[in-house]
Amino acid sequence: MSPLEAGAAVAVGTLVGLDLVSVPQMMFSRPIVAGLLGGAVVGQPLAGLAVGALLELFAMETLPVGAVRYPDWGPGSVAAGALAGAEAGGRSPAGLLAVVLVVLGTAWLGGWLMHVMRRANVASVAAWRVALDAGDARAVRRIQLEGLARDAGRAAVLTVLTLAAGQVLAGAFVSGWQAGELIARVAVVAATVGVGIWSGWRLFGQGAPAQWFVTGLGAGALVAVLWL
Amino acid sequence: MSIAVYRIDDRLIHGQVVVGWGQVLGVGFIVLVDDEVRGSDWEQELYRMGVPPAVSVEFAGVAEAIMRLPAWEADPRRGIVLTGDIDGMVTLCTGAPDRISRVNLGGIHFREGRKERLRYLYLSDEEATKLRALARCGIEVTAQDVPTARPVPLEELLA
Amino acid sequence: MAVAASPVPAFGAVLFRLFAIQAGWNYERMMGVGFGYAAEPMLRGLPGGRAGDRYREALARESRFFNAHPYLAGLAVGAAARAEVDGESPEKIERLRAALCGPLGSLGDRLIWAGWLPACAAIALMLVAFGARAWAVVVFLVLYNLVHVWLRIWGLRAGWREGLHVAGALAAQGLRRGSETVGPLAGLLVGAALPIAFAWQLRGEPWEAVGAGAGGAIVLAGVVRLAAPRANGMALAALLLGATSVCGLLWPW
Repeated sequence: MSPLEAGAAVAVGTLVGLDLVSVPQMMFSRPIVAGLLGGAVVGQPLAGLAVGALLELFAMETLPVGAVRYPDWGPGSVAAGALAGAEAGGRSPAGLLAVVLVVLGTAWLGGWLMHVMRRANVASVAAWRVALDAGDARAVRRIQLEGLARDAGRAAVLTVLTLAAGQVLAGAFVSGWQAGELIARVAVVAATVGVGIWSGWRLFGQGAPAQWFVTGLGAGALVAVLWL
Repeated sequence: MSIAVYRIDDRLIHGQVVVGWGQVLGVGFIVLVDDEVRGSDWEQELYRMGVPPAVSVEFAGVAEAIMRLPAWEADPRRGIVLTGDIDGMVTLCTGAPDRISRVNLGGIHFREGRKERLRYLYLSDEEATKLRALARCGIEVTAQDVPTARPVPLEELLA
Repeated sequence: MAVAASPVPAFGAVLFRLFAIQAGWNYERMMGVGFGYAAEPMLRGLPGGRAGDRYREALARESRFFNAHPYLAGLAVGAAARAEVDGESPEKIERLRAALCGPLGSLGDRLIWAGWLPACAAIALMLVAFGARAWAVVVFLVLYNLVHVWLRIWGLRAGWREGLHVAGALAAQGLRRGSETVGPLAGLLVGAALPIAFAWQLRGEPWEAVGAGAGGAIVLAGVVRLAAPRANGMALAALLLGATSVCGLLWPW
């Protein structure tokens, strides 16, 4: 990955990170979109999409519900898409395993940083309290902009971290992998689909949707068996 | 015990209550204890909108709630009882002694004079004293916004 | 009722700001400051204009604590701004804002976060599995945002139109019915997408690998399920992947 491509990935990762909560919540931050965008940065959108679709199964669990802390998959998925498109991640299952592990970590970190950011935003409110309670439009705008700037910083850090850690770890995994390649691949699929099933059950396991979820699983399994 | 949670939450019925607690516990009814909402048709209509059709919502004033508590506890479905403020829950607890063994602090947000205790819990010193008094009556008071979070005991909050 | 038919003032500016309603999200006021930010262009028409007391009082009030689903918040923003312009009492406006928080949050969570979003994501996953490539993402974004952007526009318009009577508009629109339908639909689609995504990944591999993958996924989901509600799927997934990594790097299986 050239420095220019890495820079572009960070820019895209930052925009995607802003999308999750700050603006405009159009779900560019879903891994399936973010991965494709990350791959596109290095000229390999489909390699990025392949990783993004896998990470999307993790993200099924993540609903940005109100004040609860949740992981942020967007910036990490952009980085993962870019890594998969470049040599490091996508070509070998061991590299993919490394990248997925790194994204798991940075997605969690992203949620934690969001919590830190929301505390810092409280400080903004406190600093502007007098003007805010006097109905000063500049204070309102200022607090919004400070929050936006913090979120952009948060997203940029996440993208850089995932790119760097992913590059290093994927390199080490590709050269040092002793076991069969298929083992790495099976582990990634089992982990993502397993989390997907758990999330689906958590979301739809109660009331009327439960029977539909089970019906869906059955129908999907039938299609899968025929197709396999 | 048919009432699974007694909760203080100034947003009353919202996503954490319906999706967070309601779905996890398989709740069949929610009791909203608030004198003002009890007297306001349009607010009742709004709160009904926030709840899936399989879950019924009851509205009661605080005094009325004390009378109806035994009936709710005998209900075969599981329920959640909500008040919007600490005073409402304190009145409920003192009006129906020994019925309520645990109180959940779900969300009390910033207002002038309140200090941050948790990210979703801001309490004035006076409010903290009221909660301590509840705890002294043998009621277990913990803060927990959603079921997946750790319940934080009152002593830890006020430490 | 000449005012009733009036269009939302500065509609474009308000809609644009609504997309950023959560930019200053914080634990003290949640999206309250964003609420004031989005409502601000509608308050400029108050007597006295932007230098007037009415404007400043209204803006201070609208910037206080608020939280709801971001897509539906426009309904409250429009209604509160309309109530300000109509000269309703501060108590009534505060009551309205407070009463809208919970229901708009809960309705939006069920309609979008636990309904339309996973439904669209599941469709996209199945499309990718069946070879739609980048089109899957295009379909996802268009389908999802049709509903998203429509909700924002409808909410702002309906809120401004109804003011204090916005509860009726909300009931009439059939959003609650929508949330009844979208939940089961999302359940069905997500359920179907999971095995299909699995098959897409391991298609053509030996049966041992397919069996191990399916077994691993089911065991992982089952373990987290049994240890509910405290267990975390993400942590268990990290554990599984970490253990595989250590073994894979150390032993030549």
